[in-house]
Amino acid sequence: MDSKHSSPATIPDHQPSTIEKLVAFLDERVGLKEMQAKMLNEPIPGGSRWAYVFGSILLFIFAMQALTGTLLMFYYVPTTDHAYDSTQYIIHDVDYGWFLLGYHFWGSSAMVVCVVAHMSQVFLWGAYKKPRELLWLVGLALFGIVITFGFTGYLLPWDQRAFWATTVGVEILDKTPVIGDFIARFLKGGPTPGQMTLSRFFVLHVMILPAALMALAGLHLFLFRVAAPAGPFSGTTEEIKAKTDYFFPRQIWKDMVGMAFVFAGICALALWEPVVLLDQAAPDPGEYHPEPEWYFLFYFQLLRLKIFAGEFGQFLGAVALPVAFMALLVALPFIDKDPERNIFKRPIALISWIAIMVFIVLFTIASVINREFLD
Amino acid sequence: MAEDHESMSPTKIGFGILWPACWTAIVVKSVFAVLLLTMGLVHFEGTFGLAFVMLFFSPVTVFSIPLIMAMFGAHFGEGIGLEILFWLSIPVDIWALGLVARTFFLERLRKEPPDALGLAIWWRSALVGAFFLPVVWGMVSFVTDNAMTASHSMAEMESLRHITDTGLPVAERISLELTIWGSISSAVLIALSLIGISILGQIIRGMAIESRPASENYQGLITRWDLMRVPTDQGLLFTSLAGVGIVFSLMFWSILPVTTPHPHECCKKPDVQVEPVLKPVESLSSSAQRVATLAAQIEAMEQQKVSTKGQKAKAKGKTQGGATADSTAKTKP
Repeated sequence: MDSKHSSPATIPDHQPSTIEKLVAFLDERVGLKEMQAKMLNEPIPGGSRWAYVFGSILLFIFAMQALTGTLLMFYYVPTTDHAYDSTQYIIHDVDYGWFLLGYHFWGSSAMVVCVVAHMSQVFLWGAYKKPRELLWLVGLALFGIVITFGFTGYLLPWDQRAFWATTVGVEILDKTPVIGDFIARFLKGGPTPGQMTLSRFFVLHVMILPAALMALAGLHLFLFRVAAPAGPFSGTTEEIKAKTDYFFPRQIWKDMVGMAFVFAGICALALWEPVVLLDQAAPDPGEYHPEPEWYFLFYFQLLRLKIFAGEFGQFLGAVALPVAFMALLVALPFIDKDPERNIFKRPIALISWIAIMVFIVLFTIASVINREFLD
Repeated sequence: MAEDHESMSPTKIGFGILWPACWTAIVVKSVFAVLLLTMGLVHFEGTFGLAFVMLFFSPVTVFSIPLIMAMFGAHFGEGIGLEILFWLSIPVDIWALGLVARTFFLERLRKEPPDALGLAIWWRSALVGAFFLPVVWGMVSFVTDNAMTASHSMAEMESLRHITDTGLPVAERISLELTIWGSISSAVLIALSLIGISILGQIIRGMAIESRPASENYQGLITRWDLMRVPTDQGLLFTSLAGVGIVFSLMFWSILPVTTPHPHECCKKPDVQVEPVLKPVESLSSSAQRVATLAAQIEAMEQQKVSTKGQKAKAKGKTQGGATADSTAKTKP
């Protein structure tokens, strides 16, 4: 550098601030700037889109579930003697406990909704196709974990709803050939749900499933970065090239807005319909008609159809149908090898997705109407 | 591509602006909704889903809601907060419609967006909604009611009774009836919604025809379109949004009820009187003072007792003295 230009009279020496020093310190040791560049400078073909926000939203919901769940664990006692009372204590005595429990409860529903939305987006965008097969498979495993989270968490308040939903759920699992009996015995730990069941569900809910979810989410992100975003399914090369952008800042802003919306939505639901427990769990259902959480109601209603009555019918509805559906989802990227990603040029995929969504909505409403016939 | 933006259908234009504008605005509106719910100014009861749809589509529902409520006795919730929410929605919708429409004009229609585009589209869409939505509501309600009655009658037909011994089982019957009336009412709702969106699209297309064509090439348009969506000063945007977020969070936690606003019958708390706070030093000094006062009182009482005794004894002595004298006098011969 020329001495004339670097003289103190013309350019004063730049003294790094404390934050700059800290960043430099960390960068020297962990490669902070390189990490930041790798994380934020991911090119998104065709630019940022609202349709891509679901993955980030799911991570956000999981983080909030972990936070609220940890706060609830400060007061919750996982024993059949105290689970119900400690949950009532959280609702009625702990400061803001009613809101934290409500947020955790509705957060689990939001997670299921966002998982289905994320899977729908990937399916409709044809983003499961080569070279993203592994990404799709890990995503399916994550879907299974989210559903298991909901199932195990449902028992913990130990009220009639929790007890009977778990009883029905475990009975369905019991019908699985070969491993069904083992799974049911392992989960229940006895002939009827009791202390062993509660302990096992609690351990699954707070230790095993979070660890599995974190590990698989990490793998999912790694595979996503290796395969790179699929981009839009339509548009000319000129359009896609003109709109291609980095992950930061456009997509990050969209993700943050999506997270804010989901956060506000969960808060609104927690305020609108806070958690109210039924009577404490008892082996006699009394007036209560057992039913699962709302996102399983469509399936519960399906099993009420006469075709699924009897030994074979129950096996067909409770085991064969869901296993076949999951097997189809697993095999999807290997069956559908057509590189065409435009959903409007894949009529079977579009019609199948619409049919499944209509079926879910229809049978969920039917299940709600069916309650009138039970009371 | 060139002919695509020239011949875009009104439905496509209407949907292309209304749908993203509603999603853009709902984020801001949901923050207001949460604050009003926290204050207890809005009660949705069982109508949360319907209220959300109405709030989501507030650019067209804002003026139609009072009409629907007056004409059909519909119920979207209770509380002054509901009115406040829809009044607050107006500037938010104008902003969102303006943002989306400006980018839509540039990118999809290749036209220069006119001034005050958001306001121009908002008042037109609110006006169309005020006339059109009550019609949609009335027609869909009418069709749904009739379709429900018809499907109910169909499920009870004798010919169906012959299929099974006891008629259709409950689950099958519900599914069948729901499929019939649900399909009919959904078809009517979708058809009328498409007509409404098409009317809006027609109005927006009229505005686009009057606008000047954009002069830049596609890359230039995309750059302008992109800058409209995200300000260039990211740091300023982040700081201002973080500030707004902190303010809203503080407001939220300060107004959120500490205990549940929905206490269950089983767990009503007994009325407990709050005990005064124990202040050791003050308590000790007041106790010492009290002891001193009591001791003084006892001393005074004892003194009084002693003096009373003395007086009594004196009086007794006097009386006895007098009596002795008298008796002596009496006993004297």
